[in-house]
Amino acid sequence: MKDGLRQSMALLHTWTGLLLGWLLFAMFATGTAAYFQDEITRWMQPEVAGPSDPVASAQGAVRYLQRVAPDAQSWYITLPNARGATTQVYWQPAADAPPATRETAAILDRDGREMTARATQGGYFLYRFHFDLHYMPVMWARYLVGVAAMFMLVAILSGIITHKKIFADFFMLRFGKGQRSWLDAHNVTAVMALPFHLMITFTGLVTLASMYMPWGIAANYANETAYSEALFGPYATVARSGKGAPLADLAPLMRRASADWGGKDTGIVVFTNPGDATATIALSRAAGEAFGSRGESVTFNAATGALQGEHRTTGAGPVTESVMIGLHSGRYAKWGLRWLYFLSGLGGTIMVGSGLVLWTVKRRARLPDPQRPHFGFRLVERLNITAIAGLATGLAIYFLANRLLPLGMADRAEREIDCLFLAWAGVGLWALVRPPLRAWIESLALAGLCFAAVPLVNALTTSRGLARSLIAGDWTFVSFDVVMLALGAAFLVTAGKVAQRKARPDAQMRRAGARTVRS
Amino acid sequence: MKSARKQGIGRGEIAARVLAAIPGNYLLTSLATACLARLLWRGFAVDPANASMIATLASFVVFSLIALAAFGLRSAVRLWLWLAGASIVLGGALGLSLAWGARL
Repeated sequence: MKDGLRQSMALLHTWTGLLLGWLLFAMFATGTAAYFQDEITRWMQPEVAGPSDPVASAQGAVRYLQRVAPDAQSWYITLPNARGATTQVYWQPAADAPPATRETAAILDRDGREMTARATQGGYFLYRFHFDLHYMPVMWARYLVGVAAMFMLVAILSGIITHKKIFADFFMLRFGKGQRSWLDAHNVTAVMALPFHLMITFTGLVTLASMYMPWGIAANYANETAYSEALFGPYATVARSGKGAPLADLAPLMRRASADWGGKDTGIVVFTNPGDATATIALSRAAGEAFGSRGESVTFNAATGALQGEHRTTGAGPVTESVMIGLHSGRYAKWGLRWLYFLSGLGGTIMVGSGLVLWTVKRRARLPDPQRPHFGFRLVERLNITAIAGLATGLAIYFLANRLLPLGMADRAEREIDCLFLAWAGVGLWALVRPPLRAWIESLALAGLCFAAVPLVNALTTSRGLARSLIAGDWTFVSFDVVMLALGAAFLVTAGKVAQRKARPDAQMRRAGARTVRS
Repeated sequence: MKSARKQGIGRGEIAARVLAAIPGNYLLTSLATACLARLLWRGFAVDPANASMIATLASFVVFSLIALAAFGLRSAVRLWLWLAGASIVLGGALGLSLAWGARL
C-alpha cells in the first residue's frame, strides 16, 4: 500500500513536472531575474546615473503633466524607489479630447524631463514575461501561467511524498555519476530551498487568485465591482466643476503621509481632475516599504491640502493576500534578502531544469533502441535543449542587443525583445537538426560565450565598463557584469562536462541497447 | 506510460484519474470555495469581502490536495464516487444558500 502510494505519486510528479516544465523553466528564470528588474533597467540605460529622490521626482512629474496634460481626467505617477531612477507617468485625457491624439504615458527623470536615454523595456520586460509571456494575448498567457503554477504545486507536493528520503539524500551530492548526479542536483536544489519553492508557487497563484478562482467572490457578490469597492473604497468619479484652482505643493503632503505610515515613503501619486476646484491627490505607500503589496493610501483635497480620506487593507483574508503577493514579488527586500531571493530562484530554475534533463537520462537506459529513440523521447530531448540553453542564449542576446542596436532605431525597445526570441528560436532550430548530444554541447557553449561577451561589449560601447565601475564603486554595474561572467563560466563549464562525458555514455548506451536486443 | 502499465494501471484508468484531477477537481473546488465564502459570511458573520478572500486563498490548498488524492486513492471508481457525492452535497448547499439569501 505504502509503495503503491509512492509509485503513483512518482508518476504524478514525473508528468506534472514534465508537461509544462519548459514553461516553468522560463517562468523561474525570468522571475528570478525580475528580483533585480530595477537594477537590470539601470544597466540597460547606461545614460542614466545618480541617486533617486521621490519628492523631487514627484514635483518634476507634476510640472511635466501640468504642461502636457493640464485638462486630463487623472494623472498617475509612479515614483522611483531607492533602486530605480525614473518616474513613470500615465494620464487619462479629457473625455472630450479627440481619441488617440497623443501619447498618454511617459518616462521622466528626476527633474520632470522626458527621458532621453535609449529606448528599452529593461528589466521590466523580464518581469512582465514572467506572467504575461509575449506575442500572445495577456489573458491567455495568465491562464496558461496559472495552470503551470498549479502543476508546479502538485509536482512539489508529490515530489516530497515520492522522495521521502530527500532530506537524508540531501547530504549526498555526487558529481560525475550520470543519472545519480542529475538526481542529486535535482534533490539538492529542491530541498535546499524547499520552503521557498512552496512559498513562491503558492503565492504566485495568489497574485492572480481571483482570476483563477473567481467563485469565492461570485458567491457573495453579484459583480466584481461591488467586491472591489467593498475592499478598496468606492470609485466615485466627480465631474469637473469648471472652476480652476491651483495645486497644493506635494512635498508637505508626502511628508505628512510618510509620518502617518511610520516613516514609509510614497510610491504612487494619483491626481483626479487636476487643476480643477474638485481635484484630489491620492498618495499610496511605496511597495518597497513594507511586506504587504496593497499599501495604505491617503487622499487630500488638491487645492487646500486638507485630508479627505484614508484607506488601509483590513480583514484576515485581504491582509493575508496582500502579504502573500508582497512575499512573492519581494519588493520589500533589502540587499541581503534580495540576493537570497535571487539565489533561491536560481535554485528553483536549476531544480526545474535538472528535473527535465532527468526525465531523459532515466529513460535513455531503458530505450529499446537507444540509437533510434521514440518520438516522445526525441521531442523532450530537443525541447529541453531549447528551453534551457535556448532561453539562456536569448537572455544574453537581449542584453547584447541593448548595447549593439543603433540608438535611434525605430521601435528599438521592441526590437531588443525580438532579438531575444530570434536567438531562442535559432537555438531551437539548431537543436532540431543536430544530434542531441552535440546540440547540448554547442548550445550550452554558445550561451556561455554570449553571457561572457556581455561585460566585454558593455566595456567597449559605454563608459561604464567593469574596471571603471569597480573604481567608481558603482555596485549595480559591477554586480551585473560579475553575474554575467559567472553565468558565462557556469554554462561553459557545463558544456565542457557534457563534452567530456560524451564518449562514455554513448558507449554505455550502445552496450545497453545491445543487451536489450539480445535478451 | 510503460512503467504505468507494469503497475497494472491502464490507459482508461489514467484518463479517469486525469479527468478527476483536473476538470472534476476544479468543479468540486469551485463549489467548496463558494460554499466556504457563503458559510463564513452568512454563518459566521465574517465581513463578506474578507470571507470571499479567505475562501479564495484556501481554494488552492483544496485543489492541490484533491489532485494528489486523485492519483493517491487506490480505486478510481471510489474516487469518482467521492467526487460526485461531494459535488452534489456542496452544489445543493450552495443552491439552498443562494435561494435563502441573495448576493450583494
